[in-house]
Amino acid sequence: MIRFFVAFMALLALLFGLELTPWLQRWFVEPWTAALAHVSALLVTGFDPGVTAIGKVLRSTTNDFAVSIEAGCNGVEATIVLIAAMFAFPSSWRHKMLGLAAGIVAVQGLNIIRVISLFYLGQWNRDVFEWAHLYVWQALIMLDVLVVWLIWVRTLPRRGGDEPPQLPPSSTAPITA
Amino acid sequence: MKSASVGTRFSPLTRFIAAVLMWLPLTFALWYFAAPILLWPAAALIDVITRAGFSDLVRAVEQTSTAVTFTTTLKPGQAVARGIVTVDVNMLLYSFGLPLFAALTLAAREHKWSRTLMIGYAVLIPAIAWGVIADFLKNIAITGPVQVVSQTGFSSWQRETIAFAFQFGSLILPAVAPAIVWVLMHRSFLERMRRTS
Repeated sequence: MIRFFVAFMALLALLFGLELTPWLQRWFVEPWTAALAHVSALLVTGFDPGVTAIGKVLRSTTNDFAVSIEAGCNGVEATIVLIAAMFAFPSSWRHKMLGLAAGIVAVQGLNIIRVISLFYLGQWNRDVFEWAHLYVWQALIMLDVLVVWLIWVRTLPRRGGDEPPQLPPSSTAPITA
Repeated sequence: MKSASVGTRFSPLTRFIAAVLMWLPLTFALWYFAAPILLWPAAALIDVITRAGFSDLVRAVEQTSTAVTFTTTLKPGQAVARGIVTVDVNMLLYSFGLPLFAALTLAAREHKWSRTLMIGYAVLIPAIAWGVIADFLKNIAITGPVQVVSQTGFSSWQRETIAFAFQFGSLILPAVAPAIVWVLMHRSFLERMRRTS
């Protein structure tokens, strides 16, 4: 378990450090965030045509209310946590990739719900918006990451037949990948 | 009989998630209203750390409800001869992991869960302190007025370190720390859940 924890923290710090580099911000994070705003606008226009996306900003053309999707709300950090958790956990590359593909969809799917819900909460009540934005949704997204990881761990093939794979051991015994 | 059939209809993981979602509103409410008391140890730790590590910059640290006020030795600028810079940081921004950890622990309902809650709370206090101190340092060393930033004497690499510490302490740590602590303290629960998959 200690080994998993150390590997997880090291990967987390590395991936997060990479995410903060100007190059990745410019070529991945900013386009990703803009795409998130556009997908959110596309989904919302199904029932609310007065919504548009400009860059990373989701705006109501009816009342001019707008939300800007910033770091921490674009789901990138949550995805990084998921990647670090799956890569640090002993499993085959195939299972890591399959888990990541499904996990990223789950995390980003909930994140789109977060963005859309905050967009409407902000138009309704600013205090509720702040509460949901700063505290509740942050916890829910991390809960989503944890649940995705738990489901993924449960679906891993059992070692040597019928026995389910153990969680990483507490000792410093080597972990098979 | 009815409750038993309901209990076995869903997987342990599904029941656990449902329990977490039921506990979250309660733990969030408790956290919010008890925050001035719950966060007192974090404020005390922040006081100790800043006095030990930044005594040349910080004159006093004071908790007011859920905010921490750093009274610095820095001057706002030459135009204000007698003033000093103070920085307020909202501790709630860095402590929303407490209700998440509590909801996860209460939903798992393991043996000695109250002891687990206390240990987890103690372990999460330094993570909260990290976020608050990094926020304060970011304010005086990076985002503050030039006259203030220049007085801190931080070098370029120190400011980079502060920026990373702030980003990590605000975007990653508050949410990840409770999940990590919970996983580390619920290994047997997780093993049992896997065996029943």
